Amino acid sequence: MSADLHGSQRAVETLVSKLRRRQVVGSREAALETVLVLRQVVSKARFSNIDQLISLIRSVGKRLVEAQPKEHSVGNTVRKLLHHIREEYNTAMTGNASSSKTVYSISNFVLQGQPRKQNVAPKSEATLTLKENDPDDPDSFARVLKPVLMEAIQDVLDELETVYDNISKNAKDHIHSDEIILTIGHSKTVETFLKVAAHHRSFTVIVAETGPSYNGHEMARALSSAGISSFLVPDSSIYAIMSRVNKVIIGAHAILANGGMFAITGSLLAANAARVHSTPVVVCAGQFKLTPLWNLYHDFGALDFADPSSVLGFEEGNLVDKVDVLNPYYDYVGPELVDVFITNDGDHPPSSVYRLIKETYDDDDHEL
Amino acid sequence: MPPKSSSSKEKDLTDEDEVLQAVILADSFNKRFKPLTSGKPRCLLPVCNATLLDWTFESLALAGVQEIFVVCRSYPELVKAAIRYVPFPRLPFLKEKSILIIFSWYTPLIVSIITSKETFTPGDAMRDIYTRGIITSDFVLVMGDLVSNIRIDEVVRVHKERRRTNKDAIMTMVVKPSGVVHRTRSKGESAIFVLDAETSECLHYEHVTGYPPKKHAKIPREILAEHPEIEIRNDLIDCGIDVCSVEVPSLFQDNFDYGDIRRDFVHGVLTSDLLMKSIHCYVAREGYAARVADTRSYDSVSKDILARWTFPLVPDDNHPGGHSYEHIRGNKYLAKGNSVVLSRTCKVGSNCLIGAGTHIADNANIQASVIGQRCTIEANVTLRNVYVFDDAHIGAGSVIEYSIVGSNVKVGEGSTVARGCLIGDDVILGKNAKLGEFERVSRRRDEGEADESDKEDEDEQSEDSELEEAEARQDSESITAIIGEGSNAIVWPKGPRADEEDLDEVERYNNQRLMRIGDPASDLPLEYEGTESDSDASERESDESDLEMHALSRISSATSTSAISTSTPGLNIHTLHDAAAYSEFQAEVTQSLDRAFAEGHSVDNAAVELKTLRMASNVPLRKVREAVVASIVERIEVVEGDAAAQRREISKMVGRWGPLIDKIGGVDPVETIEVLQYHCAKSARLPLFGQILAALYQDDIVEEDDIRAWHARPEAKGEGLKDTSFAENVKRCWLVGTKMIEQFNEQESSEEESGEEDSDEEEQPSKKPAAATAQAAVGKKEESSEEESSSGDDESGEDDSQDSEDDAPATKAATAAPSQPSKPASTPASTKESEEEESEGSEEEESEDDALAPSQPAASKPSASSTTPAVSAAPSAPPPVPAAHAPALVSSTAAPAQPSTQDEESSEEESESEASDKEPAQTAQSQAPPAVASSKQPVTAPSKAESEESEGSEDSEEEEESEDDAASRATEPVPQAQVSTPKASTETARPPATITTQTESVATIPAAVPRPRPGPDVVGGKQNPVVASGSGQVASEGATTSRATTATATSSVATTQHSLRGQSAQERDDDGGEGEESGDDSGETDEEGNTDDSEEE
Repeated sequence: MSADLHGSQRAVETLVSKLRRRQVVGSREAALETVLVLRQVVSKARFSNIDQLISLIRSVGKRLVEAQPKEHSVGNTVRKLLHHIREEYNTAMTGNASSSKTVYSISNFVLQGQPRKQNVAPKSEATLTLKENDPDDPDSFARVLKPVLMEAIQDVLDELETVYDNISKNAKDHIHSDEIILTIGHSKTVETFLKVAAHHRSFTVIVAETGPSYNGHEMARALSSAGISSFLVPDSSIYAIMSRVNKVIIGAHAILANGGMFAITGSLLAANAARVHSTPVVVCAGQFKLTPLWNLYHDFGALDFADPSSVLGFEEGNLVDKVDVLNPYYDYVGPELVDVFITNDGDHPPSSVYRLIKETYDDDDHEL
Repeated sequence: MPPKSSSSKEKDLTDEDEVLQAVILADSFNKRFKPLTSGKPRCLLPVCNATLLDWTFESLALAGVQEIFVVCRSYPELVKAAIRYVPFPRLPFLKEKSILIIFSWYTPLIVSIITSKETFTPGDAMRDIYTRGIITSDFVLVMGDLVSNIRIDEVVRVHKERRRTNKDAIMTMVVKPSGVVHRTRSKGESAIFVLDAETSECLHYEHVTGYPPKKHAKIPREILAEHPEIEIRNDLIDCGIDVCSVEVPSLFQDNFDYGDIRRDFVHGVLTSDLLMKSIHCYVAREGYAARVADTRSYDSVSKDILARWTFPLVPDDNHPGGHSYEHIRGNKYLAKGNSVVLSRTCKVGSNCLIGAGTHIADNANIQASVIGQRCTIEANVTLRNVYVFDDAHIGAGSVIEYSIVGSNVKVGEGSTVARGCLIGDDVILGKNAKLGEFERVSRRRDEGEADESDKEDEDEQSEDSELEEAEARQDSESITAIIGEGSNAIVWPKGPRADEEDLDEVERYNNQRLMRIGDPASDLPLEYEGTESDSDASERESDESDLEMHALSRISSATSTSAISTSTPGLNIHTLHDAAAYSEFQAEVTQSLDRAFAEGHSVDNAAVELKTLRMASNVPLRKVREAVVASIVERIEVVEGDAAAQRREISKMVGRWGPLIDKIGGVDPVETIEVLQYHCAKSARLPLFGQILAALYQDDIVEEDDIRAWHARPEAKGEGLKDTSFAENVKRCWLVGTKMIEQFNEQESSEEESGEEDSDEEEQPSKKPAAATAQAAVGKKEESSEEESSSGDDESGEDDSQDSEDDAPATKAATAAPSQPSKPASTPASTKESEEEESEGSEEEESEDDALAPSQPAASKPSASSTTPAVSAAPSAPPPVPAAHAPALVSSTAAPAQPSTQDEESSEEESESEASDKEPAQTAQSQAPPAVASSKQPVTAPSKAESEESEGSEDSEEEEESEDDAASRATEPVPQAQVSTPKASTETARPPATITTQTESVATIPAAVPRPRPGPDVVGGKQNPVVASGSGQVASEGATTSRATTATATSSVATTQHSLRGQSAQERDDDGGEGEESGDDSGETDEEGNTDDSEEE
């Protein structure tokens, strides 16, 4: 058993080092890896009451988050999992969950009061006999609860795996025929979204190059290979062409509780240009990007400065010594610049993001 | 539902077939960081608050290395402790004695520590690794001071792929392009990489030290010949990451003298003709890698880290020490967790890193500095570009700049530490200490400690002695003023060490200055001050000639050349010394050859044996050649009285063993002939010289061009030899050669006329394709230089005066002749005649060369018939008196012209530049005139005049007529004639071709290649065949040029400066006029000019 523990321990450490070394990048990938590791941890864990389990998961989560604080989806996933585990536990403990099949959502949250106290229908119909801290059989608690927990984890995993499809399912409602869409960077979510919309509508996409990473090139290639008419334009012309654009659709790295977001460099430029032209800015992002952070103090470091080599060549010896070059990977786009977030959990204005977060995570998990 | 078993995953990690191994050489093998490194190894110095070893581990872990061997010599306990101290629990299993599993930041690495006390160089470490047999597959070799985010696994992949097709690719070096000027590129220690542009194979490696500045590099000619496109780069940072194959350690084992990996191993492998291994470079376009090899690079690497070049290895992201920092605007990094106390009024500038638990008091000003953990910076302190290790205390009001402050140091109030200081661990500086620039201080040791450390190994002792010496001088008042009252510090001596001369070039003081933190080294003469004032042209010219490298760079650069044969006596001693060293080798070669002859080895086997011998005793190729030729000649049986039988004997011997001469590692027929000549002159087989030469010719070991080339060399004529029987013999041989060449000439002309050849000359070897082979002149330089230096000695007394007298006239005559026909009164019509004839001859020769036609034995010309076929005649009939040869003629005729020489000086300079500007094409004939013309006053020297003139000195194809003339008017003393000849031939030899080859290579040279100093040259000694021959020969000429350059560089003669200019001028002129050896005159002009100069001084 101890070897097993080491096994899961090792899995954690491997992920930690991968995160530190940026061998796992991208919020979805990081979230997926996190779920897989947590599943391993839970399956190997020994606990005789819920608190032990929670604290174990929290400690693992803390390590992962500290390893890479800028990959917000790691922490989000841990929080979400904790939330699910508590739910399952509550369901199991109270026997039959309150049969009121209320689906909590923004629309009716006022009526719901405390949504997290409300439980969805228990996954297993079999009544579980849960006994915490059983002195005779300390493992009994874990034995009984684990299958349920595994199912809950599987749910999270499924959600992550289907996130693109779920976001895209309403794509045709957002894009109309003959519209001109501007996008920036290469977001998988946006790409899927546009591709799905292209099944129903014909429209034109203008892709900004997105220096200095020039992800826009891939994006344009991907879109045009799907038969969408797309143009690649330099970042500098975003403002100039904005007057012709009907809609700006961009991806996000993380959505903050205040409704702002971190998105790839250049997004701020596009969003500001859009604001000047009163062009709507639509952000496509999975729910796992909802981050319980208010952007008061985190803005600078969180921009994730990469190495300057893509901005200034290392061989420019004279300049290297005399010029400080910053190469932020993300922009912080404030809530006032975003019109709507399209998530796999429905469409929301920035102003209600905080509420979504409250529903998705437990309050006491905000600090892991 | 058991999830995926993690144990299987573990297996993946540990039991994988291909575990990527890495070897870290944790020792620095030098003392650049003293005194910071007294008491701990360099790899444990903190860089941005993580030890270098951690940075290295992390760099390797990024690349997926799974097993690391750390080789350390000094302080192995500390290294062990440092590795063991990792913030995450180790796995319980695999806890053997020296094998630890650590999470060097979280990925399990198997780290073994190897302690080897006996390693003093990286080479020793490699041998140690070999003996331990720990390396099982391709591995990564790094120094323990690496900071890198390069994907080494990618390099490994490339390396393995290459190995699949080419087993000889044993190593891949990672290099990173940087600018010409770059803070991370070490000025003191860089290298020139010659890379194949396509395969990035490293073709040549040359180490470059910053001081003394290196002006030129030698690149073997073969490289230029074999590779259509090469890059010569000096802008690469050597990252010190090598992906090595298993056989690399064994190569170190085989070559016990390999010390440094770059200077010895890489250079050795690339220059070896035995190993046949190749080394490649991986030019990392992406990623960052640099070594913290000295305090300057410590500074620049720290700055690079703070500027995030090493991303993701940056303090706020993946700090190898496991600390976490917050990144704030302006690339400031503060330790997380609110442990840093910054007073409200302190200023922390950009590019700073402040460790946990550090307090910074009011009004402290910190710029571009790294502060360790738990430090205290008191009020009003100013730190600029300072690196403060953990637990230091900086007293109020102190000012520190560009320095490194060790851990636990206490700096008293009001102290000033100027730039470049290194303050060792635990030092306490008193109040108001004033450390000057580049002081190094360390803690005074207690008595007990001193005793203890005496027990330490040898190296420590040497360090101790330094320390003690420093301690001894500590009493004086001035020292107290430096370190303040109540200090426990000792001040280390500044300036070069007493045993400086013993040190490696890299480690010498002036070069080390380039590696010191904060040292701008602006007072070091790093640029080419002297030359820059010279005309651009001269610089460029020498650039070109310098870059042309000769293959066998063995030649000691100290051997002088004839041009500077105002040579110092020291050079002679040098030669003597060498001679002693070679004697042993020669004995061995003789033995080995005796064996080969006796047992009838195959030529190839014998050649291999010789090569090995040569490697072992490290002697120049020429010595081998001498030995081989000697053995062959001595084995020829002398058959008295029967010429035919003798011939058979010779051709049997040469046929059997002749090829060996060309297989000893380099092909240089010219040298072969010369060696043969000198050997014959000493030997009883003197009479056989002609026949042997003929036999060599017959067997294609030497070609006609080679014979001509040899013939034209001053050495061949016995120049500079004392007038002994030996010299006599040498000359006799030379005359035999003369005859032979005459025959060649006749053949050609008769060929032209009749197109038929005759059976007349049985001895006359059938001509071979005259195509100029590139090898022509490869190895000759060594020889000539020795000869010439000695000749220089002989004549040095008269040299100057004679030179000026003799040469001046010659040149004068050359140019003056056309304008003032009457002046060279002594020039008899007959001379002119002969000259004309000669010019004809040379033209013939040219045309022949041009044609590159495989000519057949030509019918002997009527005129030649009187001089019997040289070869056969030689043995029996010793040719006419040596004194008779024509050079004497020229100088005698020219003598009266002397007065006007002075004028030339002034005009000379202009002409230099002009001349060198010229394309040195083979069409030089047409170009030559202007060069000369401009140097002379009004003269409109037609090329004709020159060609005429040149003949005089040239006259190697002397015809009977001229011979007669010479004999009749040989009133000149012989020595004089000799003096002038070498010059002449030298000059003529100057190949324009150098430049043509260069233009190719130059094109790809990045600007970073140091511009060589204009080098005089002079050696040459090669005769005119070049004129029409292809670029191949041309290249060989280049070889000589570059050698000459090195020679001058080292020459200490007071007049060097002048002669330099003169010579390079001369060289240029030669280039211009080279076509038809008209170069002579202009060349001589210069020469004389400069000698005059020097005399005046």
